[in-house]
Amino acid sequence: MVDVATLAVNSVIISALYALVAIGFTLIFGVGGVLNLSHGATITLGAFAAYYASGGIVEAGVGGAVLAAIVVPALFSAVVYKGLIERIQDQPIMVMILTLVVAIAVEQVFLVAEGTQPKSIPSLLDGTVALGGSKFQTNLLVVFALSWVIIAALFYTINNTETGKAILATSMTTKGAALVGIESDRVNLYTWVVAGALAGVAGLFLGSFQTANFAMGRGPLMLSFAIVVIGGIGSVKGSLVGAYVIGTAEVLTGAVSTRLTGLVPLLLLILVLLVKPEGLFGRELAE
Amino acid sequence: MVNDGKQSAGEATQRKDSGSGRRGETIVRRRPLLKAAGAGTGLAMSAGCLDSFAGSGGGGREELDGPLKIGVLAPEPTNNPIGASIANGARLAAQQLTENGGVDGNDVEVVVKDTKEDPGTGKQKYQEFILDDEVHATTGIFTSEVLLNILDDIADQEKVHLTTGAATPEASARVNEDYEAYKYHFRTGPINAYHLGTNLVDFGEEMFGEMGWEQIAVLVEDYEWTRPVSQALDDQLGDTGVEVVMRERYASGTENFTPIYDEVESSGADAVLTAMAHTGTPAIVQWARQQRGFEFGGIHVPMQLPSYSAATEGACQFGITQNSATPTSEVTEKTVPFANAYQSEFGSYPVYTGYITFDAVKQYAEAVSSAGYVSSDEVVTALEDSSYRGTAGTIEYYGPDHEYAHDVKYGQDTVWPLFQQWQDGSQEVIYPERLATADYASPPWI
Repeated sequence: MVDVATLAVNSVIISALYALVAIGFTLIFGVGGVLNLSHGATITLGAFAAYYASGGIVEAGVGGAVLAAIVVPALFSAVVYKGLIERIQDQPIMVMILTLVVAIAVEQVFLVAEGTQPKSIPSLLDGTVALGGSKFQTNLLVVFALSWVIIAALFYTINNTETGKAILATSMTTKGAALVGIESDRVNLYTWVVAGALAGVAGLFLGSFQTANFAMGRGPLMLSFAIVVIGGIGSVKGSLVGAYVIGTAEVLTGAVSTRLTGLVPLLLLILVLLVKPEGLFGRELAE
Repeated sequence: MVNDGKQSAGEATQRKDSGSGRRGETIVRRRPLLKAAGAGTGLAMSAGCLDSFAGSGGGGREELDGPLKIGVLAPEPTNNPIGASIANGARLAAQQLTENGGVDGNDVEVVVKDTKEDPGTGKQKYQEFILDDEVHATTGIFTSEVLLNILDDIADQEKVHLTTGAATPEASARVNEDYEAYKYHFRTGPINAYHLGTNLVDFGEEMFGEMGWEQIAVLVEDYEWTRPVSQALDDQLGDTGVEVVMRERYASGTENFTPIYDEVESSGADAVLTAMAHTGTPAIVQWARQQRGFEFGGIHVPMQLPSYSAATEGACQFGITQNSATPTSEVTEKTVPFANAYQSEFGSYPVYTGYITFDAVKQYAEAVSSAGYVSSDEVVTALEDSSYRGTAGTIEYYGPDHEYAHDVKYGQDTVWPLFQQWQDGSQEVIYPERLATADYASPPWI
């Protein structure tokens, strides 16, 4: 039987990773009301950008991989918003179709370019660390720490900077924000760029932990749905809590049977939709 | 036998009445399938192709008059090393055959199609071979699920098919159960999935003691091909004297091995004995990166790739896998020359499916030549009588009455896989002794 300390550490590490995955998704939905089905593909893009920068095309080292995993998906996200979504963001069905097409197109590009064999991405830090009698991969602890640094920075930005407050205001009421002079399209662009960068980092972390492959974004996209609904659609804080609920449930279930881990988020999603459809922090969504 | 539309319908009735439920179901399904294929090619063209097939199936004796055409079914042949090896192994065989006078003076041609490892796509591509390309035989297929989905079509079309990747013994069981219908299927390699498991046990009996593997966790990915492997291990692993402390068939598509490895470590296992193809890379990368306290080996298909050390940044070091051949191992006198010719032609070394497909195309050509006819029934008989010295061993097939009818024979004198360990970026053979280039080495962190 796996010991409790190992389960606890695994839970908080994987949950921090899931939080990164889901926060970008919820930002775009909360602010722009856009259900971005290409979010998983952006994660894949981040992982492959890191792969290409760390030996796949150029040898830019771990630093280069991190930079590529942030910049490339952020730019991609900006292009998707400005090029495709901006003009149709009030048509939810069209948005879903287009973002789904983008997701499939990105998958196909990597399938053609790289095939089905998973790619290894370098660890941010090699080796293992002994904690409480158990051994953990240093890379995962770095992922955990960096996830929290990024999340804290995001919270600080949203609550304490002018741009952050504009994002928050737009997420609460687009009309109200417009009345006080906030340009919603620019705010939307910011959120797409931030969400792209977060997804890219998540892709890098996920890839360095598990390997990267063309379809690696599908699982995280499904998880994002579950996490965002559990936390309350549009709530960044809710996504954080939702990620920990899902991450912990997954690790605990995995200790019983690894076959059930994929099912747990979906069961929780159904349960929350039946019992508390607005999610844990759903009231933050004003419109 | 003229395979036109009327006769197909007649056959359907006749075969359904014969009492073979599985066959009957398939024949009923043929109509929509052919319709779908026809939609892409045009009905007139389809009809023409079907007509042009007259006499080239199982019935009647047709002499080869024109190029010998072989259809090759490979997964992602442009970018998956396993699929590329199938495609290029066939191409190289055809090229060499043609350069050496062909088959009775006729060139050998191969047409490659992508199965995408998807049963539906595989079925569609097989139909295209039959309707559009008018091939004489087919080969390839890596995924057991794909093979099982076209097995009835192979029987319907009465075209010889030589499998060169998929390992499920369900195919040979069908040949055994309904020989007349399914006799067109042969598995040139690898040895079937039950024998793959038996070979793991044979390796263990010889090597586990020397390697210090006393307690073992069996980790098997949950795909069709691993069921017989699991069965063989359940049946025979106890005979090796090791204690099996954990058995797990983990879910297909597993990417996070942390909980599984936590459990393995808790079980106190010295090593994991694996059967992995689709999920192998995340498994080996996480094992190495996390420096888990157990050793790692068994069947691990990606680890068979000659370029795998570079692809995983060395994560595969100290991992062991069963393999058909490596580029430098002289399984037969033909192995190294083939690997070098392949490297020279395509710029990389083949994986096991390359050796096997090369052998399959050459053996098929030899069978057509020795039969004197290209019609399937004659070729089936020739293949059954064949003992072909290939690159992966001596290829002989079990007879119709054997439970693994038309599977390649497993044995020291026929096909006997080797075991390699990745050491310092090289595929070093550690078993069998006659091919060994190094002793087993434990990972330094254990």
